[in-house]
Amino acid sequence: MANRILCFITFFVLFAANSLTAQQELSKNLNAKKIKGTNFISYPPYSGTPYLSEKFLPGEIEFTDGSKVKDLGLRYSSYRDEIIYYNTYLSAQIIIDKMSLKGFSFTDEKGDKRNFRRQKYDGYTNGERYFEVLNDGEISLLVYRKVDLETCETSYSKLGLAFKQSYIYYMYSADKGYSPLKLNRNSLLSKFDKPNQKLVKKIFRKNKVAFTDESGFVLAWNLLKESGISINF
Amino acid sequence: MKRRIIILLLFFAVLLSTAQERAHFSLFTDRDLYISGENILVKVFAPTDEQSGIVNIDLINTRGKIIAGISKKIIDHQADGFIDLPDSISSGCYLICTSTKSNPDLTVKELYICNQFSGLPESDIGLRSAETNLFIEKSANSVQIDGLNEAYKTREKANFTFHLPSEFIAQISGNLFVSVAGFVPGFSSGTFFRRMNPMKSRIVEKEGVILEGSIKDVKTGKPFKNGIVFLSIPDSIPRFNYCITGEDGNFNFQLDNYYGKIPVVVQGFDREEKRLLKIVLNRRDSLKSALPAFKTWTISPEFRRSAKDNSDAEIFCKVFNYQELTIAPIPLYKTDGYPFYGAPSEVIDPQLFVDLPNFTEIARELLQGIKFRAYNRIPSLHVFNPAIFNYFPDQPLVLIDGIPVRDLRVIKDMGSKEIDRIEICHNKRFYGNLNFSGVVAIYTLKPDYARIAESDDLIKLNINTIQPDVTLNGPFRQRLNEMDLRKVLLWMPSLKPGQTIRLDFETSDIRGFYRLNLHGKTKDGSDFYKEQIFEVK
Repeated sequence: MANRILCFITFFVLFAANSLTAQQELSKNLNAKKIKGTNFISYPPYSGTPYLSEKFLPGEIEFTDGSKVKDLGLRYSSYRDEIIYYNTYLSAQIIIDKMSLKGFSFTDEKGDKRNFRRQKYDGYTNGERYFEVLNDGEISLLVYRKVDLETCETSYSKLGLAFKQSYIYYMYSADKGYSPLKLNRNSLLSKFDKPNQKLVKKIFRKNKVAFTDESGFVLAWNLLKESGISINF
Repeated sequence: MKRRIIILLLFFAVLLSTAQERAHFSLFTDRDLYISGENILVKVFAPTDEQSGIVNIDLINTRGKIIAGISKKIIDHQADGFIDLPDSISSGCYLICTSTKSNPDLTVKELYICNQFSGLPESDIGLRSAETNLFIEKSANSVQIDGLNEAYKTREKANFTFHLPSEFIAQISGNLFVSVAGFVPGFSSGTFFRRMNPMKSRIVEKEGVILEGSIKDVKTGKPFKNGIVFLSIPDSIPRFNYCITGEDGNFNFQLDNYYGKIPVVVQGFDREEKRLLKIVLNRRDSLKSALPAFKTWTISPEFRRSAKDNSDAEIFCKVFNYQELTIAPIPLYKTDGYPFYGAPSEVIDPQLFVDLPNFTEIARELLQGIKFRAYNRIPSLHVFNPAIFNYFPDQPLVLIDGIPVRDLRVIKDMGSKEIDRIEICHNKRFYGNLNFSGVVAIYTLKPDYARIAESDDLIKLNINTIQPDVTLNGPFRQRLNEMDLRKVLLWMPSLKPGQTIRLDFETSDIRGFYRLNLHGKTKDGSDFYKEQIFEVK
């Protein structure tokens, strides 16, 4: 009898807890914002890749009003500067309306979180672009992950066209806009005053910074931001 | 073992009983006697454990019918607003009641309303609540009121100061509420609590008013599973949402970021177009649970005189269009800047072209890539998809002023004189889990939605969403010879507590007794008040 009563009480407590969480879920669903977009038509099979990642990667999008949708399969098209998501209910690849988004992020194959932000670009071929945020702050380090379609040798691609990476790096601040950067030591040094350049070089030497790839460049940027040396922008 | 179980059961019972003893909403109004056409100013203190973010304040008659109601956002466990009394409301006893979707407890306050045209009933007998278990506030004896005289002249400036000891301030939860308004000596209305019948809804209104209902199969009368319900809110940029029903056929939409009264169209249909459906909205039109027992009451000559004076004043206010309240600007909500169906690939203004008598002609002459045909009097519409160099096989999403239309006979006779513009999306569009084979959005010159007929599966209604905030206007008069007929001299629904609170007001041209009220809530959930009466001679 005692066991029965104990079982009954346990069941009752569990039931009450369940109904509480069910209520929370229901409220959450009501607020879920719907994703707007158009259907994705796959690109012709030229050489190279038009995407930043080969697969759809788990990520989240943030709408202009700040609301977020998590656990989406996302794939960034570097060629068209579009974010594509896979709708499991419709089994369809959908290009999310750029104007509805503030940004998006996903975790790449290496497990790194990649953050993208929609910003208005006022330079040549101006318009809304997705920039990957390599470092955020008063002055941000951004990269426009562009892929161009270029002619090539037919031995390389049967169709005579290939997707080629042409990433553009920028320093960005809300007041001063964009300033392009090249992925090398001299480009970064040129952003500092002459007296500060010695100091910057010292920091690079001390930390053994190698400008061989993007990660080295980002490391150098982070070190300079930590040191607090003012950037000529 | 048995003893242990008994202790456990007792503990559980105690736990349950404390859960039942929920704290209630505290409800205050500016006055107890109103004239039809006036505003009832309302202040609500919510319990600290209240889950809902929205409180409904309804005015109900003695049969439980809701006459008017508002919804307000609860901010810092408080809310305030106003109820606009209809001019045609008949004289008698009414109840004002606070409720939420998740809390079964109601706070009810009795009021008396007198019709400005017919006055009080000729017989001196009226109905009043017989409720004896009234809500009692504690008097805040430590609070001192300084500087308020016993009598003032009309149009005299008055100022006073509240002195609150620092120990008392430490006990106060949230802000204070202060008002100065006229009252009828010998007549006071009580506040009491009621409990609603078991509630059907499990939804908590957090950010906005929730519209809920269910769809049923007309043939069987059973809830319809997997039906689609569209919610359209016509606007300059129309808003849209959808819901797919479950086993119970229920649907719900949260109308967040909307203020005031908005037009809404709800339509439900079977995706396979096999069944006829009926929409049933869960709308509250009565609150019978709030009703107390009633008893007869003899209207005093003093009360009759006061009602007569107030009626005359209200007629003057109506004639000279005195506005008692100023509505605060509605908070701006950032939208995507384009409609839910996407940025149009083409926008056509038929006004720029020669008049065309019907949509067949418009489609043929003005709309590129739109095929509108009416074989055997059954119209069909298809959009050209440039991606596949062919027409979509399915009908596109057709909208009139942002409201989806499934029966194309509605647009068949629309000529260019009726149409302001037509927006077309040639691509396949997605909205959540819905997809549309192109979009044709027609915006009419007269957006009264009259073309869209109501039926079992389509309901047009106006919904009261969150009421915008209001402030009480100062003295009415612009010139010396203009009357100042304010009955509420001061209304400060949210006042930060401090050791000295200095306030001022100006008396109006209405003579009589006025009451200065201070209400608040302590951190332990109990209510306190301080009041002082003065006369305007």
